[in-house]
Amino acid sequence: MNQKLLGLTRFKSEELLGPLATVILLSIGVGAISASLQLAVQFALCNMVMVLALQIFVGNSGVLSFGHGAFAMAGAWISGMSTASERVKGNALALQDLWEPLVGFKLNLYVSIIAGALVGALIAAITGAFLMRLNGLAAGIATFALLGFSYNFFFNNITFGPGSQALPAVPKFSGIYEPLALALLVIVIVYFFNISPTARSLRSSREDLLAAPALGVSIQRVRWIAFTISGALAGISGAMYVHVAGTWQVQDYYLVFTFITLAMLVIGGSASLWGAVVGTLVVTAVGQILLLWEQGKSVLGIQFDLPNGARSLIIAGSLVGILLWRFAGLTGGREFKIPKLTSSKSSRG
Amino acid sequence: MQPFLDAISLGGTYALAALGLGLVFGVMRLVNFAHAELITISAYVIVVTNDLPLIVSFGIAALTAALLAILTELTIYRRLRGTGPAIMLIASFGLSVGLQKSFELIFGALPRSAAVAPWMTGSSEIAGLNITVSSIVTVGLTVAILLAMGFLVEQTNLGLQLRAAATDFKTSRLLGVRSNRLIGSAFAISGILAAFVGFILVVENPQVDPMFGLNITILALVGIVIGGISSLRGAALGGFIVGFILSILNTFLGNARVYAYSYLFLAVVIILLVRPGGLLSKGNEMERV
Repeated sequence: MNQKLLGLTRFKSEELLGPLATVILLSIGVGAISASLQLAVQFALCNMVMVLALQIFVGNSGVLSFGHGAFAMAGAWISGMSTASERVKGNALALQDLWEPLVGFKLNLYVSIIAGALVGALIAAITGAFLMRLNGLAAGIATFALLGFSYNFFFNNITFGPGSQALPAVPKFSGIYEPLALALLVIVIVYFFNISPTARSLRSSREDLLAAPALGVSIQRVRWIAFTISGALAGISGAMYVHVAGTWQVQDYYLVFTFITLAMLVIGGSASLWGAVVGTLVVTAVGQILLLWEQGKSVLGIQFDLPNGARSLIIAGSLVGILLWRFAGLTGGREFKIPKLTSSKSSRG
Repeated sequence: MQPFLDAISLGGTYALAALGLGLVFGVMRLVNFAHAELITISAYVIVVTNDLPLIVSFGIAALTAALLAILTELTIYRRLRGTGPAIMLIASFGLSVGLQKSFELIFGALPRSAAVAPWMTGSSEIAGLNITVSSIVTVGLTVAILLAMGFLVEQTNLGLQLRAAATDFKTSRLLGVRSNRLIGSAFAISGILAAFVGFILVVENPQVDPMFGLNITILALVGIVIGGISSLRGAALGGFIVGFILSILNTFLGNARVYAYSYLFLAVVIILLVRPGGLLSKGNEMERV
């Protein structure tokens, strides 16, 4: 790479406040339009937390991970299982083989989200101790095996969960503010991790696998730290998702979830926090606009008659199109910067 | 006997899928998720043209898959060359989903089916053993294709170029390998291999839907990594191992067979931890990024 090393180095308030303000304004502004958009904003915030979790690890280390779906799956499982009503857990047909102690297992909603983070971090810490030795494609496939393993386990196991069925009656967030607060908290955590010496060492290993250890960086150690933290955040994302959807189903955290969040990260620009935020917002916005068109509604006065099923095709097409246009993502991996009116230099990546 | 023959035939099918993926990976470090759709389109074509003689129907399918593979190379992958494996992988995923949705618009979301090669579904008695015709044909076909591929890769000029490019793409270009033509050929051959896989799968399971090729592609991908991504032999071996283990697990796990994938993935992680470069790698090589 002959370009400048991307990534944060020291604290600049605009780099943190810019994404925070953008997310607050858009969430509240768009959420106020209609009830269905408010729900869409809540789902988008869950995805954003997942994309930020991926950014910490994938963006900084350059190692692809398909395994974060497993952390989200587990975080969502503990959070959903510990908050769903005891009456439902004791009587639902899908749960008749549920392990007895789980039926009475009850946590407060907020505590259950912390539990989700802990479970995500724990699984990431244990598996990361082994997986972080791997590089390149082998690492990607090994993390995929982790996802496949978790999915296969939860899909078939009816002692610890509903198997392929849904766990019903999980309490929902009361509105947009709880997921918004969590997403903002995660942005702050990711920002401060990204300016830490650990993250800087990790980025050095992303740029050069031979030079970084020569300068005293233990690649395995810094990757493990980032993997564990990002496992916790993925756990939070899953826990949020379960309280937005009001139900837990293993399919929600499998291939589509894994790839759409990875795509959001790459589209926005995986090297920066701002990229993760922009990627989530852009992909969500495109999806929502197409959805409205598919339903025959107009968006800002523009209306198209979109045939059913064309939406996913256009989203996939625009994903590929954006990568062809700007392979480093929309932000080019740069952090948020207040645009200067006098600047004449173009900042294309 | 039948379980072992089934395992060999499934292993062989996975080896063909892995070989198609491995060829393309070798020349341009691309993990081509859209290989699944090459398998799917072949299966669709075979089902739709089932009234034609089998050989003609398969010929059209192979041609379609090869053309689609070359088209994706020309329009997308060529322009992403050199951007890094992660970006190409995500692009190939986008392409894969896009093609699936196109198939849904063209062929409908419900499965299309036809009785392809009905003579293969019977069974016959050989040396006192009752064996299904399809497993004999599949094993024979995969062995023949693997031998043909072995000849192509080991004995021909194109094969030499493919191996050279897989080992060191830059140096092979300096030595006169014409990269665009070579990559184009790799895509075309991977398309033809995908058509063979599509044919074998559609005989076993004639219900073709837009996700038809996805499962085998993901598992073959796992296979090429545990076999060793740096060589085609490793890719084919890895694919074979994954298919073989899966088939054996399905036969012998009994009621626990629903967890076959869990055992498989566990085995994959262990193999990768012991040999990060794959089973056929020479020592612990580190891929330079």
